[in-house]
Amino acid sequence: MSGFIQQIINGLSIGSVYALMAVGYSLVYSIMNFSNFAHGGIIMFGAYFGFFFMTLYKFPFSVAFIASGICAALMAILVERVAYKPLRDRRAPFLYFIISAMGVSIFLENIIIATIGPTFRTYPEVFSAQPIKIGNLAIGRIDLTMFIISAVFLVLLIYLIDHTKIGKAIQATSFNMKASALMGINTDFIILLVFGLGGFLAGLAGVLFGMKYTVYPQIGNITLKSFIAAVFGGLGSLQGAVIGSVLLGIIETITSGYISSQYRDLIAFVLLIFILVVRPMGLMGKVTEDKA
Amino acid sequence: MKKFLSLLVVFALVISLFSGCAKKEAGDVIKVGWIGPLSGDQAVWGQCESNAVKMFFEELNNNGGLLGKKVEVVAYDTRGDGTEAVNAVRRLTSQDKVIAIIGPNSSGQAIPISSILEEMKVPDIATVATNPKVTVVDGKVKPFNFRICFIDPYQGAVAAGYAIDVLGFKKAAILYDIGDDYSQGLTQYFEETFTKKGGQVVAKEGFKTGDVDFRPQLTKIKAANPDIIFMPYYYKEVALSAKQARELGITATLMGGDGWPSEQLMTMAGDAVEGSYIINHLDFDDPEVQPFRNKYKQKFGKDSEINGYLATDACTLLVEAIKKANSFEGEKIKEALEGIEIKGITGNIKIGKDTHNPENKEAAIIKIENGKYKFVEKYAVK
Amino acid sequence: MLSWYYLKGIIMLAGIYLLPVLGLSLLTGFTGLFSFGHAGFMAIGGYTTAFMMMKLEVPFIPAILMGGLFAAFFSFIIGKLTLKLKGDYFCIATLGFGEAIRLLLDNIQYFGGARGWPGLPLKTTLITVIIIDIIAVILLRNIIRSRHGRNMIAVREEELASSIIGIDTFKYKMISLVISAFYAGVGGGLLGTYLGFLQPKIFSLTRSTELTIIVIFGGLGSLTGSVVGTILLIALPEILRSFANWRLVVYGVIVVFIMIARPEGLMGGKELSFDVLRNLFRKRVKEAKAEGGK
Repeated sequence: MSGFIQQIINGLSIGSVYALMAVGYSLVYSIMNFSNFAHGGIIMFGAYFGFFFMTLYKFPFSVAFIASGICAALMAILVERVAYKPLRDRRAPFLYFIISAMGVSIFLENIIIATIGPTFRTYPEVFSAQPIKIGNLAIGRIDLTMFIISAVFLVLLIYLIDHTKIGKAIQATSFNMKASALMGINTDFIILLVFGLGGFLAGLAGVLFGMKYTVYPQIGNITLKSFIAAVFGGLGSLQGAVIGSVLLGIIETITSGYISSQYRDLIAFVLLIFILVVRPMGLMGKVTEDKA
Repeated sequence: MKKFLSLLVVFALVISLFSGCAKKEAGDVIKVGWIGPLSGDQAVWGQCESNAVKMFFEELNNNGGLLGKKVEVVAYDTRGDGTEAVNAVRRLTSQDKVIAIIGPNSSGQAIPISSILEEMKVPDIATVATNPKVTVVDGKVKPFNFRICFIDPYQGAVAAGYAIDVLGFKKAAILYDIGDDYSQGLTQYFEETFTKKGGQVVAKEGFKTGDVDFRPQLTKIKAANPDIIFMPYYYKEVALSAKQARELGITATLMGGDGWPSEQLMTMAGDAVEGSYIINHLDFDDPEVQPFRNKYKQKFGKDSEINGYLATDACTLLVEAIKKANSFEGEKIKEALEGIEIKGITGNIKIGKDTHNPENKEAAIIKIENGKYKFVEKYAVK
Repeated sequence: MLSWYYLKGIIMLAGIYLLPVLGLSLLTGFTGLFSFGHAGFMAIGGYTTAFMMMKLEVPFIPAILMGGLFAAFFSFIIGKLTLKLKGDYFCIATLGFGEAIRLLLDNIQYFGGARGWPGLPLKTTLITVIIIDIIAVILLRNIIRSRHGRNMIAVREEELASSIIGIDTFKYKMISLVISAFYAGVGGGLLGTYLGFLQPKIFSLTRSTELTIIVIFGGLGSLTGSVVGTILLIALPEILRSFANWRLVVYGVIVVFIMIARPEGLMGGKELSFDVLRNLFRKRVKEAKAEGGK
């Protein structure tokens, strides 16, 4: 029994990592309607920012954490300006955005390898490696912190979107960009804001991820899982992204623990297909019909 | 206009290709190729190899070169991919006209290049391609493929033999990378030897290349209560899985292969790997290893990975073979390589004629004590 | 100078990759579906071909056809389940499929697992690749020009409108997917017999994205674009080889640059055929005449 509870704890902790990544991605999706495959690259940069802030400049953790978020946000905005805005201006179909995003992600990963090298880097210890023990169960301190930080920032974000004026503007833009522009919303600014927010979350996710799993140029690849999680939950829905992530985390752990760790991703894939067959827009996604 | 611009870029690149080849073909320079991953997730090892190879020949050139000629190293990136390796070797053998190739670092790259090597008659010495089929397929040796490392069956058997015969452990668990050829190879032979010697593999769990969280598998392993956990993969995953294992309260001894040794492992894993055993190619504290170790660190500002040592030995092997053959012809170098004996950093190496593998290479058993690699003994499985 | 031996290798590789690219071109460029799983179909084709040749001793050409058919069969099942999905949902489903196939092959020790399958017969020659490529292009061109092809394009342009005027959109998406998987499967078979070796790692997600990048780079809705794109983009990493560590950095920049500078791709939906050349020539002649008349 304690094994099972431990697995659930593992699943929640893995899920909360996915969630922090999936939300930023889903946020951009809700406005731009395309999968921002450069998100992983921004997360990776966030991890490196945090690492260098803490080791080179000796920032305390909290300062480094927020500073990395801000730097990552600026980077995300830069990526938007360089790689997406020209496409936006000419109303290119979503395929082009995806390819452009892939180009960016190839670039980001390899620029790190070419400049500062592919070596793995370890964060200085902020949280004790000793887990909190409850009977036979172990809860990592970093995991707990990550879980809490993720939860706090996600709640803040959802509050921002649902209850502030700027949030309403974001919602309006995501619903219909053209009409929002006509209603006097500066959609270009909203898009930058959304990329900035997504980038900020990516930066935080990067730091937390780097602390727990070390820093290396291929960190971005893990976002693949959060893309799948976001689809599970329903693209464009923040709540969906969170639920999808936690669900995926738990499904993966339970599969590894009780069915087969060798076939874990195969089983997760079959489940994904099953969910999509039953609910083609994911768990929380809105079913939209084509506008004729 | 923009179409024109983009085409211009492409043409400029094509021209840069041609200009790159038009370099002067001086008569007193010969070329040696190196292939391996300079980008992608194996770049750490590839870049180290390429550094070591370049350093080796630089030194050789400063000391008068080889048979009166200077050696130029041509290093190409493969991203760790088999098809890219094929392209790189085609280019090395036909366009750059290298006399021999060092690398690659994995079997997935070393196996598909063999037909080209045979066609172009250029010998290749792989650094850490450990699949037996790199040099021998269906009992027939591939004429131009050589290697400097020991093979999966040997390493897996040594690990299992040492665990059961010397350490006296009867219950083993294995955690391995499903997507990695090296990891699967070691797992298979460890399991075979361990069960043959009367041990019991109580859990065998897999993960996928790129995974960072192993707690679900480790929780399951914990329930099986093994004496020892065999972890045949590279040190990044080792550090993560070892830390997570300790976090979950697993106290079993950990054991691994030559993917482990790296100065990085200690910083990454800390106490978690304390008391673990490693099957290695060499003893890091051996006085004969120090010159290379210090030179590399001085030159590149960081410690060499295990690949650097093996790549250097591959270079020594090649140079000795060329001296023995007194020729730069591929065919003659190949013949000279067969049966050659050298004293390398990783020990005495004798290349078998029928296997093209280093024969009788003893594995070094290393124990991690107080955050240091401590040499225990040379060991060969009985 | 560029050696023929090296060049031949690149041409063969480009010729092999042309097949999955053509398939994907039909799916993405002409039907508007986006797949990240075509490396998975290539893997199925490759392993089926290897199985046919090594275990059942089927001759080369029937074996690669079987590889294609088996990939097509798989795509039919996947299509049944996922073709109703929209945009990114379909995209992620194919991505998951590609990864699942690789995981499956990693685990199947009969085919060598992750350690790969060495010693396959080296049957792929430059001539076979070129002949198969030519047949593939002609076949695909005829499909696109047929009524079916026009219906596929209609599905791409206006899915809702097409279904209203009575086009069975699901059926045309399915046809497109199955054909494209067949092409990818044949390509996988050729790749295996070119390398003499198969390993699940070869068919990674990176491979799938490369294929998609080629299709878009060449221009959606243009077979000529796919051909030109394949040749350029397979050659590009080779051209960049001297950049060593910076190779993929430059590659990424070029991909983004092309998207920004020319998002419709190289050919932008146009085909290069004899008609176009003739028209171009005629125009020139007319202009010349007009000038001569002055």
